[in-house]
Amino acid sequence: MKGIPTVLITVSPEVSGQMRPPRALYPKGFKIGNSLGKPGMRELQRKVLRDALTLLTENTRPGSVITLEYPEYGDYFEPPKVRAEKQ
Amino acid sequence: MALSRKCVPFTPFDRELAKSSIAIVTAGGVHMKEQEPFNIADELGDLTFRIIPPDVDSKNLMVTHHHYDHSDADHDINVVFPIDVLRDLVEEGFVGGVARKHVGYMGYTMQLKAMYEGTAPEIANEIDRGSRADAVVLTGG
Repeated sequence: MKGIPTVLITVSPEVSGQMRPPRALYPKGFKIGNSLGKPGMRELQRKVLRDALTLLTENTRPGSVITLEYPEYGDYFEPPKVRAEKQ
Repeated sequence: MALSRKCVPFTPFDRELAKSSIAIVTAGGVHMKEQEPFNIADELGDLTFRIIPPDVDSKNLMVTHHHYDHSDADHDINVVFPIDVLRDLVEEGFVGGVARKHVGYMGYTMQLKAMYEGTAPEIANEIDRGSRADAVVLTGG
């Protein structure tokens, strides 16, 4: 099996983190359905995609999610939490 | 080869982005308007996926997914499937190209084992065999 390098853009960092993605970007405060930003915000969308792709070339720790802030998004949405499991 | 759920399946990226072809794989339920929509009537979810060609007109893409609010994606598909954004990055020389195949599936299923052991490797094979992608960007909703 040949591996393919991947990078995930997630707006549910806690949920995605459980899957231990090899590389992942969380654009802080973006809501579900806005992985790259809001409609028509092309410059922001380009920035998020460039940042995600750049993670391919950096020595990030596999399994961790990198959080970056994009104030131009203009909103903050609390990301979903992982439901606590009974021990 | 079965992957342990505990390991991180990390594949190193040893190329230059400016010479690399990028594929997009989204769990956001994206497909072309003429393709069969995902089956949202089945409570177990839909394990199928749709291949999206590199020259697709983004206005010809839509979302069928009932587990997130996709009204923003209905206005601009790039918020979950950044195909026009990727084209911009090719234009500016940040990446080398748009891969030959992209994939949309509906990232909601009650059949996790079938998704993990069936759909996921099938999508990986499509990307591996047909897309000539050097790397993949994954998005959810």
